[in-house]
Amino acid sequence: MKRVLSMTALLVLIGTAASAQDLASFEKRTQVRKLDNGLTVILLERHDAPVFSYATVVNAGSAQEVPGITGLAHMFEHMAFKGSDRVGSKNWEAERAALAKVEQTYAAYDRARRAETNRDAARVAQLEQAWKDAIAEADKHMTNDEFSQVIDRAGGVGMNAFTASDITAYFFSMPSNRFELWAYMESERFRHPVFRQFYKERDVVNEERRMRIESSPFGRLLEQFMSTAFIAHPYGFGTGIGWPSDLATFSATDAAEFAKKYYVPSNMVVAIVGDVNPAEAWPIIEKYFGRLPKAEAPEPLRTVEPPQTAERTVVLRETSQPLYVEGYHRPAVTHPDDNVYDVISMLMSSGRTSRLYRSLVRDKKIAAAAAGFNGFPGEKYPNLFTFYGVTTPGHTPDELAEGIRAEIERLKTEEVPAAELQSVKTRVKAGVLRQLADNSGLALQLATYHTLYGDWRELFREIDGIDKVTAADVKRVANATFVPGNRTVAKLESVAKGAAK
Amino acid sequence: MKRLASIFALTLLTLLTTPGALAQATTYNEIKSPPLRKFSMPQPKRIALPNGMVIFLQEDHELPLIEGSATIRGGARNVPAEKAGLHTIYGQAWRTGGTATKTGDELDELLESRAARVETASGSDSSSVSMDVLKADFDTVFPIWLDVLRNPAFRQEKIDLAKTQVNTSISRRNDEPGGILGREATRLGYGPDSPYARQAEYATVASITRDDLLAFHRQTVHPNNIILAFIGDFDTAAMEKRLRDAFSSWPRGPQVAKPDPAVNGAKPGVYFISKEDVTQANIAMVHPGTQRNNPDYPAIVVMNEIFSGGFSGRLMQQLRSVRGLTYGAGGGIGAPWDYPGLFRAQMSTKSGTTLESIEALRGEVRRMIEEPATAAELSLAKESILNAYVFTMDTREKALQQQVLLELYGFPPDYYVKYPGLIEKVTAEDVARVAKTYLHPDRLAVLVVGNEKDFEKPLSTLGTVTKIDITIPEPGAGKSAAPSASNPEGMALLNKVRDFIGGAAAIDAINASRVAATMSMNTPQGAMSAEATTLIQYPSSMRQELVLPMGTMTTVITPDVAYMVTPGGTQDLPGSRRDAAVADMKTDFMHILRNAGNPRYTFTAGGTENIGGVDARVLTISPDGGTVTWYVEPATGRLLRTVRTTTAGGAGPAENVTDYSDWKQFGPVKAPTVAKITRNGEQAAEIRVTAVEVNPAVDANAFRKP
Repeated sequence: MKRVLSMTALLVLIGTAASAQDLASFEKRTQVRKLDNGLTVILLERHDAPVFSYATVVNAGSAQEVPGITGLAHMFEHMAFKGSDRVGSKNWEAERAALAKVEQTYAAYDRARRAETNRDAARVAQLEQAWKDAIAEADKHMTNDEFSQVIDRAGGVGMNAFTASDITAYFFSMPSNRFELWAYMESERFRHPVFRQFYKERDVVNEERRMRIESSPFGRLLEQFMSTAFIAHPYGFGTGIGWPSDLATFSATDAAEFAKKYYVPSNMVVAIVGDVNPAEAWPIIEKYFGRLPKAEAPEPLRTVEPPQTAERTVVLRETSQPLYVEGYHRPAVTHPDDNVYDVISMLMSSGRTSRLYRSLVRDKKIAAAAAGFNGFPGEKYPNLFTFYGVTTPGHTPDELAEGIRAEIERLKTEEVPAAELQSVKTRVKAGVLRQLADNSGLALQLATYHTLYGDWRELFREIDGIDKVTAADVKRVANATFVPGNRTVAKLESVAKGAAK
Repeated sequence: MKRLASIFALTLLTLLTTPGALAQATTYNEIKSPPLRKFSMPQPKRIALPNGMVIFLQEDHELPLIEGSATIRGGARNVPAEKAGLHTIYGQAWRTGGTATKTGDELDELLESRAARVETASGSDSSSVSMDVLKADFDTVFPIWLDVLRNPAFRQEKIDLAKTQVNTSISRRNDEPGGILGREATRLGYGPDSPYARQAEYATVASITRDDLLAFHRQTVHPNNIILAFIGDFDTAAMEKRLRDAFSSWPRGPQVAKPDPAVNGAKPGVYFISKEDVTQANIAMVHPGTQRNNPDYPAIVVMNEIFSGGFSGRLMQQLRSVRGLTYGAGGGIGAPWDYPGLFRAQMSTKSGTTLESIEALRGEVRRMIEEPATAAELSLAKESILNAYVFTMDTREKALQQQVLLELYGFPPDYYVKYPGLIEKVTAEDVARVAKTYLHPDRLAVLVVGNEKDFEKPLSTLGTVTKIDITIPEPGAGKSAAPSASNPEGMALLNKVRDFIGGAAAIDAINASRVAATMSMNTPQGAMSAEATTLIQYPSSMRQELVLPMGTMTTVITPDVAYMVTPGGTQDLPGSRRDAAVADMKTDFMHILRNAGNPRYTFTAGGTENIGGVDARVLTISPDGGTVTWYVEPATGRLLRTVRTTTAGGAGPAENVTDYSDWKQFGPVKAPTVAKITRNGEQAAEIRVTAVEVNPAVDANAFRKP
């Protein structure tokens, strides 16, 4: 759900509110610049306290992967905390040579161990040892986690990052007297990322996969759901964390190539929100982020998911409690009907007046939770409108399917009452207002909107589109989208321990 | 954004900026950060109402929004074990069950159409009723919030819905390994019966009734247990007036007591929960921790930072970055605000490195003692905490929430002002000392959740392994026949009271008593005074004569007959009034003392509460059904207060709080000569005793209907 609000709509909403409150002041306090190297930087002043937050959004995510390197976008995100030639190295010349050796020995070892015929176990062991020795040598020249220690020591908080299907985002907050240190560190990690400890970190990412996917019933269900719903587009590579074979194979060299292609300034947006004086900040931003070498933005993704023509179903039979998911393909976020999907999602899922809550949770008591939402797994490309339900004890996924379909049928055949539609629109507007007070959330929103729409102001504009959605639109879009041939179902059915899967 | 303006600004800047200022640093060490500009976040205004309610008001005019909350002492830890889950159901049905005048569904419509929220929530030690509203709708939503706070209806259909939700959580609690680990580590650390570790079961949920929710509400929702906090686009003076008008006439009620923490953790050793559908083992280690008021707390905070602070702490450094064993490892010495915490360390790892990880994690605990913090670690930890300190007060909302917390837990309002100074003083010796004092690697209960067939070695190579069965008990199964038993301290406290009053022999020798007193009552008709003579024949017969201005009124209640004689004639009392009165008599303190040895009565001591300047021990008594709470001066056994729920009086269940004072000797026993009674928080009566006769001659017709 994109929560957005145009200036006019907000002014209507807040009526005679004081000037500090109107959105015009947020717009007035926002500056945006494109540096010579193509990097876009957005600056929004909020001077309540001497702190600022930022988000760097890279217009690349797991959807930029191809078979063989699935999981690599996320892997690079982990590596972006390992420093640069100037952060984290005791002796860069020695470390550079040692890291080159790690890559050479790894390539030899990897080729030998994956030989399809005549695999020579003794030689594999020997090459593996050479690789491990090279790692031990490289480790001598680095300082563990220097990047995060510098940020921690300076008072940085909330340091983290995430890799989504569409984007990769990096963020934290700092006391405002550390602005120059921040600008140095944040640009440094993309100026010259160094892939030290790559293979240890690959183990860490494998642990993350085991935790999020393999050891979680919901994770296992989602992985099957995504890889069934998409047959061509990379949205179908499971959950974006990567397939185990790729995670066990790709190299630091692969990661460097990925970064070289996608981590270019023209493909990145940095948004800063907080106690920052633009007159002082811009020269500092120019000085440090200007160091990122100019390069052409990557070619847009070629593969488009072909229309679905047959219903698909996957069933997991497990000893855990039942879960239910069904998804329908819908167009990308830039499609004119995007706001109609937003309204449908709100009607079905927002609050205790929502249709799925009232029907499945409150009245039938077959679900502890049920909702339908947009943008799964991303929204930059055609994606899924996804419904899910969590059964209450004694009820089955099929009952949830029936309950969800009944509510979908109402959308398709009955006009949404005017009061219900208005209530949804009011909540969308208020939702935008409520997120304006949080530096960190706002920085991420600004950078994400600028990445997805090419203009951060879309954050405030799209409300007009939502306001224009009519009951007829809802009916039309529901009828076009929610049809059996466009549906993928994934359900987890509970079976007794030891039963056949 | 006006592009022209920014280009203009840029040109200007380029002209003004000196080359020196543009000097580019090559390494981060070359960057000299200026000192942080001085600032102080506005603090909320504190208002204490005479009825004990505390209000904090914080203006914030950036956005046209107002948020408010009532934080109410009393939470899951105040719920008896056999009703575990009650508080979750209470927190849901409080809002969804609507108010006396509006159903929850009606509230949903009303609020959501205005993008407003009024929500109730339940926590371990408190509940809350909050609101979040556009300023323009405040006048509409404030009365709704007030109505939810004061007049919840707890409609049965929403209690049933909440029970379904809790039962769903029970049914799913063994699905995700991380959830199992967190829950079971807490149960190991505190013992499964601790108020901080109890869990709802189908049977406890089934036993919860609407009356239980109402009783919990009556027990906790009194102004003296409530802290209000409002923030947003309002004028403080106007808001203060509004809240004073709304709450000033609300009388005090009994204070919520804090249960005994009763940390009764598992023995050191290895505990195992088998889960086959996972590729990772989840590992936790626990032993008792400490509490926030510990003077060592600042040193503990610094030690925790060194041990596990973010990516720079030892756990993430060693277990993640250096060894690649885990995605996440964390832990530290727990120090909650008002009860003892646990030391915890936990991580997850692939099944094949389970034992390696257990040793590595335990090794880090040991290393914290054996290899104390280096100067570099100490400076990194302290600078991290102190430089980030600005983030504890970077919004008005945080300043407000801090004051609520400090008020709730009884810490001084300048706690957060003084805190950085305490951190600054922490030395390497302090860190080494607290590590030695509070970390006990040999006393850890180690819990592993995983798929043992894939472990690199059997767990038994670590020693004896205790298997924990987490099978969810089916509804109705495992219901204990007897209520929870008395605890030794409860029995001791009871004996103390018995001795104070005159000793077991003297009390057991009492068959009847006659008490003469002056009663001042607040009635719906106004204040009233009466001379009262009350004759009680144990176990359950009572005759009370009240001399009132309009004549004498006599009430007689026995298990067989119940009637009232007034100048207008004699009338029977309904059976329900009789039963209520008989039940009420059973909760009288003398009746309870006569049943000290009765196995159907249980006595449990737990918690301390200040009653009129005395730190009274709290004794919870189950007198053959129902609950009575006594507050006892521990040194003397003097009974200061009793709290009981009664239906006698006919106006629905009410909570009676009786404060006793001026004890005097009457023959073989002591009795209080002054008793002040409040009913549902309102002053109901004051009794001044003029004479007590023990074992008086009882007229044979005293209890016979004329």
